[in-house]
Amino acid sequence: MAVCVLLCGLLCSCAPQAKKNKYTTHSLDYFDTVAIITGYESSQKEFDAVAGEILSQLAEYHKLYSIYHRFDEMENLCTINELTDGAHRTVTVDRRIIDMLLYAKEMYAKTDGMLNVAMGSVLSLWHNYRTLGKDNPDTAALPPADRLRDAAKHTDITKMIIDEENCTVTLTDPLMKLDVGAIAKGYAVERIALKLEESGVTGYVLNIGGNVRTIGTKPDGSPWLIGVENADSSDYLAYLQLSGQSVVTSGSYQRYYTVEGKRYHHIIHPDTQMPSEGYLSVSVVCKDSGLGDALSTALFCLRQDKGLALVESMPGVEAMWVTENGAKTVSSGWSKYIKK
Amino acid sequence: MMKQKNVNKRHLRNDILLIIVLLLVAATGAAYLFLFRGFGDVVKVTVDGELYGVYSLSQDRTEDISTGEDGRQLNRLVIREGKAFIQTATCPDGICAAHRAIFRNGESIVCLPHGVVVTVTTAQTQGEPDVVV
Repeated sequence: MAVCVLLCGLLCSCAPQAKKNKYTTHSLDYFDTVAIITGYESSQKEFDAVAGEILSQLAEYHKLYSIYHRFDEMENLCTINELTDGAHRTVTVDRRIIDMLLYAKEMYAKTDGMLNVAMGSVLSLWHNYRTLGKDNPDTAALPPADRLRDAAKHTDITKMIIDEENCTVTLTDPLMKLDVGAIAKGYAVERIALKLEESGVTGYVLNIGGNVRTIGTKPDGSPWLIGVENADSSDYLAYLQLSGQSVVTSGSYQRYYTVEGKRYHHIIHPDTQMPSEGYLSVSVVCKDSGLGDALSTALFCLRQDKGLALVESMPGVEAMWVTENGAKTVSSGWSKYIKK
Repeated sequence: MMKQKNVNKRHLRNDILLIIVLLLVAATGAAYLFLFRGFGDVVKVTVDGELYGVYSLSQDRTEDISTGEDGRQLNRLVIREGKAFIQTATCPDGICAAHRAIFRNGESIVCLPHGVVVTVTTAQTQGEPDVVV
């Protein structure tokens, strides 16, 4: 009898349980970055269905928020930036553009202007010189200071007129352009994550070019483990455990080009029109990936004492700053997300 | 006496049954490990989402990943001492070649211009990250 009980116990413990397996897929097609989707499902088919829906939504946001390409079937950021007879026209757009731009305005106010989507004229100069410099490293050059100064005169966000009721956007300064690179990706990730959560999806993590958003926990109830990379060594800067939160990092090592041996990264300070100096990276943990995206860029441009005060004033937001010499500073509640 | 013999026989039969079941349990466990933990630590290379190759991290090697219509786009993948890195690349930004060597589960090197993604795939052990950013 005892043998039977032992055998039953052994057999039961080894019987296949209805468990979920981990699946991953990636795409290089959206937001000029790599999108990695990881999730736990009972079968590849179930995972493919959810991942397919995520990628299809990502494709829509990619088209809506693109400043470089226009698409036949829709008005988007690119068409808002276009000039017709020397002026911007009033463009009727999808509600998702209106909502994102309203959020961007809100973040402009909260970050003391460090997150400014109206900086397109300045950022496009840097983009063009960076692209040329990468293609032809021997002749790489910086944008001329006078051109940057002139472009900076056309970055007044109050000249972006949003008509919420009619879903229209008008740029009243003909020389201004929108660039939503510091907010659109995170905003899109958050909208997609919220939709998944509403439909009961759990056990997923989206990593869209460094905008990480966790959806629920893993099937065993444990949090997702996120390693924040150190650009210069194999040690992690931080080892986080997150459930339903987001982590976003802005780093000077992510996009850059080299001019006469010096690296120039892509995070441009609104006041100097030059790459912001002082930090190697800034990481933000919070629920909302859109907020994390916007804040990580803004904090990269803010003085650390001001940035720390801003973070401490926002409930549920934590941050980590890594200076160019490798010194780390964290906000008061950062440690609660660190894996023990 | 006869009764004692029968009891001994029954014990022997139970013992054999127990051994067989234990062997089955061991075999099931081994099969589980083989199927779900994989063959070992590897890097998986995809180009434009299609699998290009899978290379063991335990064997030093150099692999030229050639892409593009004429095959002239190049990323030289080097595996050395259990770590993988892109030694040289013909892409315009060179970000992949500047990336540090990777070796932990989930770490990846991405070359956007060439559509190349190199990802470490290992049996994730407890405490290892799910995502590396």
